[in-house]
Amino acid sequence: MNRFAKLLNFELSRFMKLYLVLVAMTIIVQIAGVIVKTNEYMGRANQTIQEDGLSIAQFVEQYGAMSFLDFTRSLWFMGPIAICAAALIFYIFMIWYRDWFGKNTFIYRLLMLPTARLNVYFAKATSIVLMVLGLISVQLIILPLENTIFKSMLPVNFRVDMTIDRIIDWNYLSMLIPQTFIEFVLYYGAGFMAVLILFTAVLFERSFKWKGILLGIGYIAISGIVMLSPVLSMVFLNHYYLYPLESLGLQIVLGIIVTAMSIWLSNYLLNKKVTV
Amino acid sequence: MIEVNGIKKKFGRKKVLKGVSFTAEKGEITCIIGINGVGKTTILNAIMNLTPLNGGEILIGGEKINKHSYEKITFIPDAIIMQPNMTIAESMQFMADFYDSWNQERAIELLDFFKLKEHEKINSLSKGNRAKVNLLLGLALDVDYLLMDEPFSGIDIFSREQIAEVFTSHLVEDRGVIITTHEIGDIEHLIDEVVLLDEGEVLKQFNSEEVRETEGKSVVDVMREVYQP
Repeated sequence: MNRFAKLLNFELSRFMKLYLVLVAMTIIVQIAGVIVKTNEYMGRANQTIQEDGLSIAQFVEQYGAMSFLDFTRSLWFMGPIAICAAALIFYIFMIWYRDWFGKNTFIYRLLMLPTARLNVYFAKATSIVLMVLGLISVQLIILPLENTIFKSMLPVNFRVDMTIDRIIDWNYLSMLIPQTFIEFVLYYGAGFMAVLILFTAVLFERSFKWKGILLGIGYIAISGIVMLSPVLSMVFLNHYYLYPLESLGLQIVLGIIVTAMSIWLSNYLLNKKVTV
Repeated sequence: MIEVNGIKKKFGRKKVLKGVSFTAEKGEITCIIGINGVGKTTILNAIMNLTPLNGGEILIGGEKINKHSYEKITFIPDAIIMQPNMTIAESMQFMADFYDSWNQERAIELLDFFKLKEHEKINSLSKGNRAKVNLLLGLALDVDYLLMDEPFSGIDIFSREQIAEVFTSHLVEDRGVIITTHEIGDIEHLIDEVVLLDEGEVLKQFNSEEVRETEGKSVVDVMREVYQP
Protein backbone atom coordinates (compact mmCIF):
# COMPACT_ATOMS: atom_id res chain seq x y z
CA MET A 1 0.00 0.00 0.00
CA ASN A 2 1.52 3.33 -0.89
CA ARG A 3 1.95 6.05 1.68
CA PHE A 4 -0.99 8.12 0.45
CA ALA A 5 -3.34 5.17 0.88
CA LYS A 6 -1.90 4.52 4.35
CA LEU A 7 -2.37 8.16 5.30
CA LEU A 8 -5.92 8.13 3.98
CA ASN A 9 -6.70 4.99 5.92
CA PHE A 10 -5.16 6.58 9.01
CA GLU A 11 -7.16 9.81 8.62
CA LEU A 12 -10.40 7.90 8.15
CA SER A 13 -9.80 5.72 11.17
CA ARG A 14 -9.09 8.79 13.34
CA PHE A 15 -12.60 10.14 12.73
CA MET A 16 -14.38 6.81 12.46
CA LYS A 17 -15.92 6.67 15.95
CA LEU A 18 -17.47 10.11 15.67
CA TYR A 19 -18.47 9.39 12.10
CA LEU A 20 -20.29 6.21 13.09
CA VAL A 21 -22.10 8.19 15.79
CA LEU A 22 -23.25 10.63 13.08
CA VAL A 23 -24.40 7.77 10.85
CA ALA A 24 -26.23 6.07 13.72
CA MET A 25 -27.82 9.35 14.80
CA THR A 26 -29.04 10.00 11.24
CA ILE A 27 -30.56 6.53 10.91
CA ILE A 28 -32.21 6.52 14.35
CA VAL A 29 -33.57 10.08 14.25
CA GLN A 30 -34.90 9.83 10.71
CA ILE A 31 -36.59 6.47 11.26
CA ALA A 32 -38.00 7.68 14.58
CA GLY A 33 -39.12 10.79 12.70
CA VAL A 34 -41.11 8.76 10.16
CA ILE A 35 -42.88 6.96 12.99
CA VAL A 36 -43.54 10.14 14.99
CA LYS A 37 -44.75 12.21 12.03
CA THR A 38 -47.05 9.51 10.66
CA ASN A 39 -48.44 8.85 14.16
CA GLU A 40 -49.01 12.57 14.60
CA TYR A 41 -50.88 12.70 11.31
CA MET A 42 -52.98 9.64 12.07
CA GLY A 43 -53.72 10.92 15.59
CA ARG A 44 -54.92 14.21 14.16
CA ALA A 45 -56.89 12.41 11.46
CA ASN A 46 -58.64 10.09 13.93
CA GLN A 47 -59.44 12.96 16.28
CA THR A 48 -60.76 15.21 13.49
CA ILE A 49 -62.77 12.42 11.91
CA GLN A 50 -64.30 11.54 15.30
CA GLU A 51 -64.94 15.06 16.53
CA ASP A 52 -66.18 16.54 13.24
CA GLY A 53 -67.89 13.40 12.01
CA LEU A 54 -65.96 13.44 8.72
CA SER A 55 -65.39 10.55 6.40
CA ILE A 56 -61.84 9.61 5.41
CA ALA A 57 -62.40 11.08 1.94
CA GLN A 58 -63.71 14.35 3.45
CA PHE A 59 -60.76 14.56 5.83
CA VAL A 60 -58.26 13.99 3.02
CA GLU A 61 -60.02 16.49 0.86
CA GLN A 62 -60.03 19.09 3.64
CA TYR A 63 -56.60 18.50 5.20
CA GLY A 64 -54.71 16.71 2.46
CA ALA A 65 -53.11 13.28 2.36
CA MET A 66 -49.63 12.94 3.83
CA SER A 67 -46.76 12.45 1.42
CA PHE A 68 -43.21 11.42 2.20
CA LEU A 69 -42.19 14.95 1.25
CA ASP A 70 -44.04 16.27 4.34
CA PHE A 71 -41.66 14.16 6.39
CA THR A 72 -38.56 15.23 4.47
CA ARG A 73 -39.40 18.88 5.19
CA SER A 74 -39.57 18.24 8.92
CA LEU A 75 -36.83 18.73 11.48
CA TRP A 76 -36.73 14.97 12.01
CA PHE A 77 -35.34 14.55 8.52
CA MET A 78 -33.44 17.78 8.00
CA GLY A 79 -32.01 18.00 11.53
CA PRO A 80 -29.63 15.03 11.25
CA ILE A 81 -28.53 16.17 7.78
CA ALA A 82 -27.81 19.66 9.14
CA ILE A 83 -25.91 18.23 12.12
CA CYS A 84 -23.84 15.97 9.83
CA ALA A 85 -23.11 18.89 7.48
CA ALA A 86 -22.12 21.14 10.40
CA ALA A 87 -19.93 18.40 11.88
CA LEU A 88 -18.11 17.86 8.59
CA ILE A 89 -17.64 21.60 8.01
CA PHE A 90 -16.24 21.88 11.53
CA TYR A 91 -14.04 18.87 10.84
CA ILE A 92 -12.52 20.57 7.75
CA PHE A 93 -10.77 22.85 10.26
CA MET A 94 -10.39 20.33 13.05
CA ILE A 95 -8.60 17.83 10.80
CA TRP A 96 -5.64 20.25 10.77
CA TYR A 97 -5.88 22.06 14.07
CA ARG A 98 -6.06 18.95 16.23
CA ASP A 99 -2.63 17.96 14.89
CA TRP A 100 -1.20 21.23 16.18
CA PHE A 101 -3.25 21.77 19.31
CA GLY A 102 -4.11 18.27 20.42
CA LYS A 103 -2.69 16.75 23.59
CA ASN A 104 0.29 15.56 21.56
CA THR A 105 1.54 17.64 18.66
CA PHE A 106 1.10 15.02 15.98
CA ILE A 107 1.92 17.51 13.23
CA TYR A 108 5.63 16.87 13.99
CA ARG A 109 5.19 13.26 12.96
CA LEU A 110 3.08 14.05 9.90
CA LEU A 111 5.57 16.60 8.58
CA MET A 112 8.50 14.25 9.18
CA LEU A 113 7.06 11.34 7.23
CA PRO A 114 9.26 10.25 4.33
CA THR A 115 6.64 11.21 1.78
CA ALA A 116 5.63 14.39 -0.03
CA ARG A 117 3.83 16.68 2.42
CA LEU A 118 1.18 17.15 -0.21
CA ASN A 119 0.18 13.53 0.44
CA VAL A 120 -0.82 14.54 3.97
CA TYR A 121 -2.91 17.36 2.47
CA PHE A 122 -4.57 15.12 -0.11
CA ALA A 123 -5.21 12.38 2.44
CA LYS A 124 -7.03 14.86 4.66
CA ALA A 125 -9.02 16.32 1.74
CA THR A 126 -9.91 12.90 0.36
CA SER A 127 -11.03 11.66 3.77
CA ILE A 128 -13.44 14.61 4.03
CA VAL A 129 -14.85 13.89 0.56
CA LEU A 130 -15.20 10.17 1.32
CA MET A 131 -17.01 10.96 4.56
CA VAL A 132 -19.45 13.22 2.71
CA LEU A 133 -20.04 10.54 0.08
CA GLY A 134 -20.46 7.96 2.85
CA LEU A 135 -23.17 10.01 4.54
CA ILE A 136 -24.95 10.54 1.22
CA SER A 137 -24.79 6.79 0.61
CA VAL A 138 -26.30 6.13 4.03
CA GLN A 139 -29.08 8.58 3.18
CA LEU A 140 -29.66 6.83 -0.14
CA ILE A 141 -29.81 3.45 1.58
CA ILE A 142 -32.22 4.50 4.31
CA LEU A 143 -34.59 6.49 2.09
CA PRO A 144 -36.31 3.35 0.69
CA LEU A 145 -36.44 1.90 4.21
CA GLU A 146 -38.03 5.09 5.52
CA ASN A 147 -40.45 5.10 2.60
CA THR A 148 -41.43 1.51 3.40
CA ILE A 149 -41.98 2.38 7.07
CA PHE A 150 -43.97 5.44 5.97
CA LYS A 151 -46.24 3.25 3.85
CA SER A 152 -46.66 0.67 6.57
CA MET A 153 -47.63 3.34 9.12
CA LEU A 154 -50.29 5.09 7.04
CA PRO A 155 -53.34 3.46 5.43
CA VAL A 156 -53.35 3.91 1.68
CA ASN A 157 -56.27 6.39 1.80
CA PHE A 158 -54.27 8.81 3.92
CA ARG A 159 -51.06 8.91 1.94
CA VAL A 160 -49.62 9.95 -1.38
CA ASP A 161 -47.16 7.34 -2.59
CA MET A 162 -43.97 8.46 -4.29
CA THR A 163 -41.04 6.62 -5.80
CA ILE A 164 -37.56 7.29 -4.40
CA ASP A 165 -36.58 8.99 -7.64
CA ARG A 166 -39.46 11.42 -7.32
CA ILE A 167 -38.73 12.04 -3.64
CA ILE A 168 -35.17 13.01 -4.53
CA ASP A 169 -36.22 14.95 -7.60
CA TRP A 170 -38.91 16.97 -5.81
CA ASN A 171 -36.67 18.04 -3.04
CA TYR A 172 -33.49 19.88 -2.08
CA LEU A 173 -32.15 16.33 -1.88
CA SER A 174 -31.47 16.60 -5.60
CA MET A 175 -28.59 18.91 -4.62
CA LEU A 176 -27.12 16.24 -2.36
CA ILE A 177 -27.91 13.32 -4.60
CA PRO A 178 -27.16 14.29 -8.21
CA GLN A 179 -29.29 12.69 -10.89
CA THR A 180 -26.64 12.57 -13.63
CA PHE A 181 -22.93 11.93 -13.78
CA ILE A 182 -22.30 15.51 -14.97
CA GLU A 183 -24.22 16.84 -11.95
CA PHE A 184 -22.20 14.55 -9.71
CA VAL A 185 -18.91 15.86 -11.13
CA LEU A 186 -20.07 19.49 -10.89
CA TYR A 187 -21.53 19.35 -7.38
CA TYR A 188 -18.82 17.25 -5.81
CA GLY A 189 -16.05 18.93 -7.80
CA ALA A 190 -17.25 22.23 -6.37
CA GLY A 191 -17.36 20.66 -2.89
CA PHE A 192 -13.82 19.31 -3.23
CA MET A 193 -12.62 22.71 -4.45
CA ALA A 194 -14.25 24.39 -1.44
CA VAL A 195 -12.47 21.97 0.91
CA LEU A 196 -9.12 22.74 -0.76
CA ILE A 197 -9.75 26.51 -0.51
CA LEU A 198 -10.48 26.19 3.23
CA PHE A 199 -7.42 23.95 3.71
CA THR A 200 -5.28 26.61 2.01
CA ALA A 201 -6.74 29.25 4.32
CA VAL A 202 -5.90 27.08 7.35
CA LEU A 203 -2.33 26.64 6.09
CA PHE A 204 -2.01 30.42 5.65
CA GLU A 205 -3.00 30.83 9.29
CA ARG A 206 -0.61 28.05 10.41
CA SER A 207 2.21 29.69 8.43
CA PHE A 208 1.75 33.37 9.26
CA LYS A 209 -0.40 33.27 12.42
CA TRP A 210 -2.35 36.57 12.81
CA LYS A 211 -1.34 37.87 9.39
CA GLY A 212 -2.25 34.43 8.09
CA ILE A 213 -5.84 34.81 9.26
CA LEU A 214 -6.18 37.89 7.05
CA LEU A 215 -4.40 36.15 4.19
CA GLY A 216 -6.66 33.11 4.59
CA ILE A 217 -9.83 35.22 4.60
CA GLY A 218 -8.46 37.15 1.62
CA TYR A 219 -7.77 33.92 -0.24
CA ILE A 220 -11.29 32.63 0.41
CA ALA A 221 -12.72 35.97 -0.79
CA ILE A 222 -10.59 36.04 -3.95
CA SER A 223 -11.48 32.44 -4.77
CA GLY A 224 -15.16 33.26 -4.28
CA ILE A 225 -14.93 36.32 -6.52
CA VAL A 226 -13.09 34.36 -9.23
CA MET A 227 -15.69 31.59 -9.12
CA LEU A 228 -18.60 34.00 -9.20
CA SER A 229 -17.03 36.37 -11.73
CA PRO A 230 -19.12 35.14 -14.73
CA VAL A 231 -22.32 35.60 -12.72
CA LEU A 232 -21.16 38.91 -11.23
CA SER A 233 -20.19 40.30 -14.64
CA MET A 234 -23.59 39.37 -16.00
CA VAL A 235 -25.40 40.99 -13.07
CA PHE A 236 -23.33 44.15 -12.67
CA LEU A 237 -22.21 44.81 -16.24
CA ASN A 238 -25.38 43.52 -17.79
CA HIS A 239 -23.36 41.54 -20.33
CA TYR A 240 -25.05 38.37 -21.43
CA TYR A 241 -22.53 37.33 -24.07
CA LEU A 242 -22.35 33.68 -23.19
CA TYR A 243 -24.75 30.84 -23.85
CA PRO A 244 -25.57 28.78 -20.74
CA LEU A 245 -23.29 25.96 -21.90
CA GLU A 246 -20.41 28.38 -22.50
CA SER A 247 -21.04 29.93 -19.11
CA LEU A 248 -20.90 26.47 -17.53
CA GLY A 249 -17.66 25.74 -19.40
CA LEU A 250 -16.14 28.99 -18.14
CA GLN A 251 -17.23 28.13 -14.60
CA ILE A 252 -15.55 24.74 -14.86
CA VAL A 253 -12.31 26.28 -16.18
CA LEU A 254 -12.31 28.83 -13.33
CA GLY A 255 -12.96 26.02 -10.86
CA ILE A 256 -9.98 24.08 -12.20
CA ILE A 257 -7.79 27.21 -11.95
CA VAL A 258 -8.84 27.90 -8.33
CA THR A 259 -8.33 24.23 -7.41
CA ALA A 260 -4.86 24.15 -9.02
CA MET A 261 -3.96 27.43 -7.30
CA SER A 262 -5.06 26.05 -3.91
CA ILE A 263 -2.96 22.91 -4.39
CA TRP A 264 0.09 24.86 -5.54
CA LEU A 265 -0.16 27.37 -2.67
CA SER A 266 -0.74 24.63 -0.09
CA ASN A 267 2.27 22.70 -1.36
CA TYR A 268 4.39 25.85 -1.10
CA LEU A 269 3.13 26.65 2.40
CA LEU A 270 3.58 23.08 3.64
CA ASN A 271 7.14 22.87 2.36
CA LYS A 272 8.42 26.39 2.84
CA LYS A 273 6.35 28.32 5.35
CA VAL A 274 4.45 26.17 7.78
CA THR A 275 5.76 25.97 11.31
CA VAL A 276 5.13 23.37 14.01
CA MET B 1 27.78 15.52 8.20
CA ILE B 2 25.13 18.07 9.17
CA GLU B 3 26.21 21.58 8.22
CA VAL B 4 24.37 24.51 9.73
CA ASN B 5 25.52 27.62 7.87
CA GLY B 6 24.64 31.06 9.19
CA ILE B 7 21.00 30.37 9.94
CA LYS B 8 18.79 33.26 10.98
CA LYS B 9 15.33 33.15 12.44
CA LYS B 10 12.95 35.84 13.63
CA PHE B 11 9.71 35.43 15.55
CA GLY B 12 7.91 38.69 14.91
CA ARG B 13 10.53 41.34 15.63
CA LYS B 14 12.56 39.13 17.94
CA LYS B 15 15.72 37.73 16.37
CA VAL B 16 16.03 34.23 17.84
CA LEU B 17 18.92 33.00 15.68
CA LYS B 18 21.45 35.53 14.40
CA GLY B 19 23.59 33.58 11.99
CA VAL B 20 24.22 30.29 13.79
CA SER B 21 26.84 28.01 12.24
CA PHE B 22 28.18 24.65 13.36
CA THR B 23 28.73 21.16 12.05
CA ALA B 24 27.81 17.77 13.48
CA GLU B 25 29.62 14.62 12.36
CA LYS B 26 28.28 11.11 12.05
CA GLY B 27 29.49 8.92 14.92
CA GLU B 28 29.72 11.87 17.32
CA ILE B 29 27.42 13.29 19.96
CA THR B 30 27.09 17.03 19.54
CA CYS B 31 25.47 18.91 22.37
CA ILE B 32 23.87 22.32 21.94
CA ILE B 33 23.89 24.03 25.30
CA GLY B 34 22.16 27.21 26.33
CA ILE B 35 19.59 28.53 28.75
CA ASN B 36 15.89 28.31 27.92
CA GLY B 37 14.78 30.49 25.04
CA VAL B 38 18.13 30.85 23.25
CA GLY B 39 16.88 28.99 20.18
CA LYS B 40 18.04 25.41 20.76
CA THR B 41 14.72 23.84 19.77
CA THR B 42 14.38 26.25 16.84
CA ILE B 43 17.70 24.97 15.47
CA LEU B 44 16.46 21.36 15.60
CA ASN B 45 13.12 22.33 14.06
CA ALA B 46 14.98 24.16 11.30
CA ILE B 47 17.22 21.15 10.58
CA MET B 48 14.05 19.05 10.13
CA ASN B 49 12.37 21.74 7.98
CA LEU B 50 9.67 22.20 10.60
CA THR B 51 10.08 25.95 10.71
CA PRO B 52 11.10 28.32 7.89
CA LEU B 53 14.35 30.26 8.17
CA ASN B 54 15.01 33.93 7.47
CA GLY B 55 18.50 33.22 6.22
CA GLY B 56 21.30 30.68 5.94
CA GLU B 57 21.09 27.05 4.93
CA ILE B 58 21.29 23.58 6.37
CA LEU B 59 22.81 20.62 4.56
CA ILE B 60 22.53 16.98 5.53
CA GLY B 61 25.16 14.88 3.83
CA GLY B 62 25.69 17.78 1.42
CA GLU B 63 22.00 18.02 0.45
CA LYS B 64 19.13 20.21 1.49
CA ILE B 65 16.47 18.31 3.41
CA ASN B 66 13.82 16.58 1.31
CA LYS B 67 11.25 13.84 1.81
CA HIS B 68 13.91 11.13 1.47
CA SER B 69 15.99 12.74 4.23
CA TYR B 70 13.45 11.58 6.83
CA GLU B 71 14.70 8.03 6.29
CA LYS B 72 18.20 9.22 7.26
CA ILE B 73 17.54 11.65 10.08
CA THR B 74 14.98 11.69 12.84
CA PHE B 75 13.92 14.11 15.52
CA ILE B 76 12.91 13.18 19.04
CA PRO B 77 11.18 16.25 20.54
CA ASP B 78 10.75 16.75 24.28
CA ALA B 79 7.04 15.83 24.09
CA ILE B 80 5.61 12.71 22.55
CA ILE B 81 4.38 13.22 19.01
CA MET B 82 2.11 10.23 18.59
CA GLN B 83 -1.65 10.07 18.99
CA PRO B 84 -2.45 9.88 22.73
CA ASN B 85 -5.09 7.19 22.24
CA MET B 86 -2.66 4.87 20.48
CA THR B 87 -1.04 1.95 22.28
CA ILE B 88 2.73 1.57 22.11
CA ALA B 89 2.23 -1.34 19.69
CA GLU B 90 0.03 0.81 17.43
CA SER B 91 2.63 3.58 17.47
CA MET B 92 5.29 1.06 16.46
CA GLN B 93 3.03 -0.23 13.69
CA PHE B 94 2.48 3.33 12.46
CA MET B 95 6.24 3.83 12.21
CA ALA B 96 6.69 0.45 10.51
CA ASP B 97 3.99 1.37 7.98
CA PHE B 98 5.58 4.63 6.93
CA TYR B 99 9.34 4.23 7.37
CA ASP B 100 11.46 1.84 5.31
CA SER B 101 14.19 2.44 7.87
CA TRP B 102 12.08 1.03 10.73
CA ASN B 103 13.93 -1.79 12.49
CA GLN B 104 11.41 -3.98 14.27
CA GLU B 105 14.06 -6.11 16.00
CA ARG B 106 15.63 -3.03 17.50
CA ALA B 107 12.21 -1.73 18.51
CA ILE B 108 11.50 -4.91 20.44
CA GLU B 109 14.97 -4.74 21.99
CA LEU B 110 14.26 -1.17 23.11
CA LEU B 111 10.85 -2.16 24.44
CA ASP B 112 12.59 -4.71 26.60
CA PHE B 113 15.40 -2.32 27.53
CA PHE B 114 12.96 0.35 28.73
CA LYS B 115 10.64 -2.25 30.29
CA LEU B 116 7.64 -0.89 28.41
CA LYS B 117 4.47 -2.89 27.72
CA GLU B 118 3.22 -2.90 24.13
CA HIS B 119 -0.48 -2.85 25.01
CA GLU B 120 -0.24 0.30 27.16
CA LYS B 121 -1.87 3.43 25.79
CA ILE B 122 0.36 6.47 25.43
CA ASN B 123 -2.00 8.70 27.40
CA SER B 124 -1.81 6.33 30.36
CA LEU B 125 1.99 6.50 30.61
CA SER B 126 4.05 8.53 33.08
CA LYS B 127 6.15 11.41 31.73
CA GLY B 128 9.28 9.28 32.04
CA ASN B 129 7.75 6.41 30.13
CA ARG B 130 6.45 8.75 27.43
CA ALA B 131 10.00 10.04 26.99
CA LYS B 132 11.15 6.43 26.65
CA VAL B 133 8.47 5.70 24.01
CA ASN B 134 9.57 8.80 22.15
CA LEU B 135 13.14 7.59 22.28
CA LEU B 136 12.12 4.08 21.22
CA LEU B 137 10.26 5.38 18.16
CA GLY B 138 13.29 7.43 17.13
CA LEU B 139 16.04 4.96 17.95
CA ALA B 140 14.33 2.05 16.21
CA LEU B 141 14.79 3.82 12.87
CA ASP B 142 17.98 2.90 11.03
CA VAL B 143 18.93 6.51 10.50
CA ASP B 144 22.32 8.21 10.29
CA TYR B 145 21.42 11.14 12.52
CA LEU B 146 19.32 11.57 15.65
CA LEU B 147 18.21 14.94 16.95
CA MET B 148 17.05 14.99 20.55
CA ASP B 149 15.45 17.94 22.24
CA GLU B 150 15.88 18.05 26.02
CA PRO B 151 15.55 14.27 26.51
CA PHE B 152 16.00 14.60 30.29
CA SER B 153 13.57 17.41 30.83
CA GLY B 154 11.19 16.88 33.75
CA ILE B 155 11.71 13.15 34.22
CA ASP B 156 12.72 11.14 37.27
CA ILE B 157 16.31 10.18 38.08
CA PHE B 158 15.89 6.49 37.25
CA SER B 159 14.45 7.24 33.82
CA ARG B 160 17.28 9.70 33.24
CA GLU B 161 19.85 7.06 34.08
CA GLN B 162 18.18 4.60 31.76
CA ILE B 163 18.05 7.12 28.92
CA ALA B 164 21.69 8.14 29.51
CA GLU B 165 22.61 4.45 29.30
CA VAL B 166 21.27 4.41 25.74
CA PHE B 167 23.99 6.82 24.64
CA THR B 168 26.75 4.42 25.58
CA SER B 169 25.03 1.39 24.04
CA HIS B 170 25.15 -0.04 20.52
CA LEU B 171 21.76 1.62 19.95
CA VAL B 172 23.48 4.91 19.25
CA GLU B 173 26.98 3.99 18.13
CA ASP B 174 28.01 5.05 14.61
CA ARG B 175 25.16 7.53 14.41
CA GLY B 176 25.45 11.26 14.59
CA VAL B 177 23.53 12.70 17.51
CA ILE B 178 22.63 16.31 18.12
CA ILE B 179 21.20 16.83 21.56
CA THR B 180 20.00 20.02 23.21
CA THR B 181 19.99 20.46 26.92
CA HIS B 182 20.42 22.93 29.72
CA GLU B 183 21.10 20.11 32.17
CA ILE B 184 24.57 19.06 31.17
CA GLY B 185 25.28 16.93 34.27
CA ASP B 186 23.58 13.80 32.96
CA ILE B 187 25.56 13.51 29.77
CA GLU B 188 28.74 15.52 30.22
CA HIS B 189 30.92 12.40 30.02
CA LEU B 190 29.16 11.21 26.85
CA ILE B 191 29.37 14.16 24.53
CA ASP B 192 32.03 14.77 21.89
CA GLU B 193 31.30 18.22 20.48
CA VAL B 194 29.81 21.11 22.40
CA VAL B 195 28.10 24.16 20.91
CA LEU B 196 27.53 26.94 23.41
CA LEU B 197 24.67 29.18 22.41
CA ASP B 198 23.54 32.49 23.80
CA GLU B 199 21.16 35.12 22.50
CA GLY B 200 20.89 33.45 19.12
CA GLU B 201 24.63 33.18 18.50
CA VAL B 202 27.23 30.46 18.85
CA LEU B 203 29.61 31.66 21.55
CA LYS B 204 31.95 28.71 21.24
CA GLN B 205 32.18 25.26 19.63
CA PHE B 206 34.74 22.84 21.03
CA ASN B 207 35.61 19.18 21.39
CA SER B 208 35.08 18.14 25.01
CA GLU B 209 37.84 15.51 24.93
CA GLU B 210 40.37 17.96 23.51
CA VAL B 211 39.58 20.60 26.12
CA ARG B 212 39.83 18.00 28.86
CA GLU B 213 43.21 16.76 27.63
CA THR B 214 44.83 20.03 26.62
CA GLU B 215 43.40 22.45 29.13
CA GLY B 216 42.28 20.09 31.88
CA LYS B 217 38.82 21.61 31.86
CA SER B 218 35.41 19.99 31.97
CA VAL B 219 32.50 21.13 29.82
CA VAL B 220 31.01 22.82 32.88
CA ASP B 221 34.31 24.71 33.43
CA VAL B 222 34.22 26.05 29.87
CA MET B 223 30.55 26.95 30.30
CA ARG B 224 31.41 28.97 33.41
CA GLU B 225 34.15 30.82 31.52
CA VAL B 226 31.83 31.61 28.62
CA TYR B 227 28.58 32.36 30.43
CA GLN B 228 30.02 33.92 33.64
CA PRO B 229 33.25 35.64 32.57
